[in-house]
Amino acid sequence: MDRKRRGVPAASLAALLLLAGLVPGPPARACGAAGAPPWPEAKKLRTVVIDPGHGGMELGAKGKLGHLEKDITLSVALKLKALIERNMAFRVVLTRDKDVDVPVESRAAVANNVKADLFISIHTNGSRQKAAEGSETFFLSSGPTPDEETRRLAYLENNGSRIEEHADRTSEGDVKMILWDMAQTAYIRQSSQLADLIQAELNALLGTRNRGIKQAPFKVLTGVACPAVLVEAAFISNPAEEKRLATDEFQASVAEAIYRGLSKYLQLYP
Amino acid sequence: MAKETNGKTPKRNWGPALVLAGLLVVLAVLAIVFFTGGEREKVRRRAEVAEAKAPAPAPPQAAEPSARRTVTLYFLSDDDDLLHGESREIAAGRSAAEEAERALAELVKGSTAGLVSPLPPETRVRQVFITKEGTAYVDFGREIMEKFSYGSASELAAVYAVVDTLAANFKAVKKVAILVEGAEKETLGGHIDLTQAFAPDYSIVAK
Repeated sequence: MDRKRRGVPAASLAALLLLAGLVPGPPARACGAAGAPPWPEAKKLRTVVIDPGHGGMELGAKGKLGHLEKDITLSVALKLKALIERNMAFRVVLTRDKDVDVPVESRAAVANNVKADLFISIHTNGSRQKAAEGSETFFLSSGPTPDEETRRLAYLENNGSRIEEHADRTSEGDVKMILWDMAQTAYIRQSSQLADLIQAELNALLGTRNRGIKQAPFKVLTGVACPAVLVEAAFISNPAEEKRLATDEFQASVAEAIYRGLSKYLQLYP
Repeated sequence: MAKETNGKTPKRNWGPALVLAGLLVVLAVLAIVFFTGGEREKVRRRAEVAEAKAPAPAPPQAAEPSARRTVTLYFLSDDDDLLHGESREIAAGRSAAEEAERALAELVKGSTAGLVSPLPPETRVRQVFITKEGTAYVDFGREIMEKFSYGSASELAAVYAVVDTLAANFKAVKKVAILVEGAEKETLGGHIDLTQAFAPDYSIVAK
């Protein structure tokens, strides 16, 4: 133990440097370009990643009339993609464009690999309560607790030399996953702004009950290294809302609401 | 060097030899420190492990066979989005973990007052284990994942009904981690992150 501890300052310093480099503090906007030199006025094409919730064997919530969350989220995502591509200088990447299984962690990986500037996950809600209704927008609840942070740092210290050796090839292995666990915590404030703006448009366009913006530990958001929100458009578990969700018009309205919220956000961070 | 040895005995140059000897001594010392130090560390580590294990089998406090205790279970209501407490008597157990298992089994059984259970009625509570640090590991059977098609709201309710029920009734429980069939799962139904332990959230409990 004593001998090991001697190596700790150097190792933890290295780990901290690594963290500082890979998980930037509140950056202007190009969150995906972590560690890259800041190009002052370089006009680069920005990327938004749209994540249609669930898919494949993973159905998500199920409506009493038989509609599935995974189908409606995909349909809304495709409409939103078209809308953005038609009106904005944005590259749009979908985490899935058909009915396939995509592991939750891969969804964050897609966003980070394409150096996404924004991440929007689309869902429809489900509850055990018959009467539950309305729309809400989530962002991640604050990062790892002190306990977990300690555990992680202990891990980094114990594996300090290994991390130094492998710092260059972080495409696989523990290092990247550890950093991704914390990735979203740097963007909570911007994520809450984006959630707020999208929620306002959902209320204006859908006429569903306003359930507000909320924080929760969504797995799909934890690893995303840019502002990220999860939209819950209406309750598929509520037959009245399920009927609306199944219509093309309502799905288009959800896409339009998210699009307008996104536009407002971009006025804040042009 | 050999060529210069004709006639005279060569004056031995002790310099290199001394340096070599010095190095050997240093090496030997380092080796001794290394091995004995390592040994000491190993022994200490073994002692720590033994220490950690020792108090684990807590002396079973002979609970009276008929002892009961009252716990508060958290269910959903059809009227709002909050969790609502409902009192229930359970048999007292020999440990907090045993009572926690009973409390969760009652949570699965459902409300007797018309509240809505957030867990599938088929759910098995396989085991509860509470660490010294205050994390309760709750191991459910696979039905908890398979019998419901969770939306975000129902998944949040399922998780926090379990977390708040344990944290509110058992002082030893500060946080709750949920396992399924003995293994860590990412989520119950694609939403809430199960890879971290949850602190209770009483803001979603009706006053």
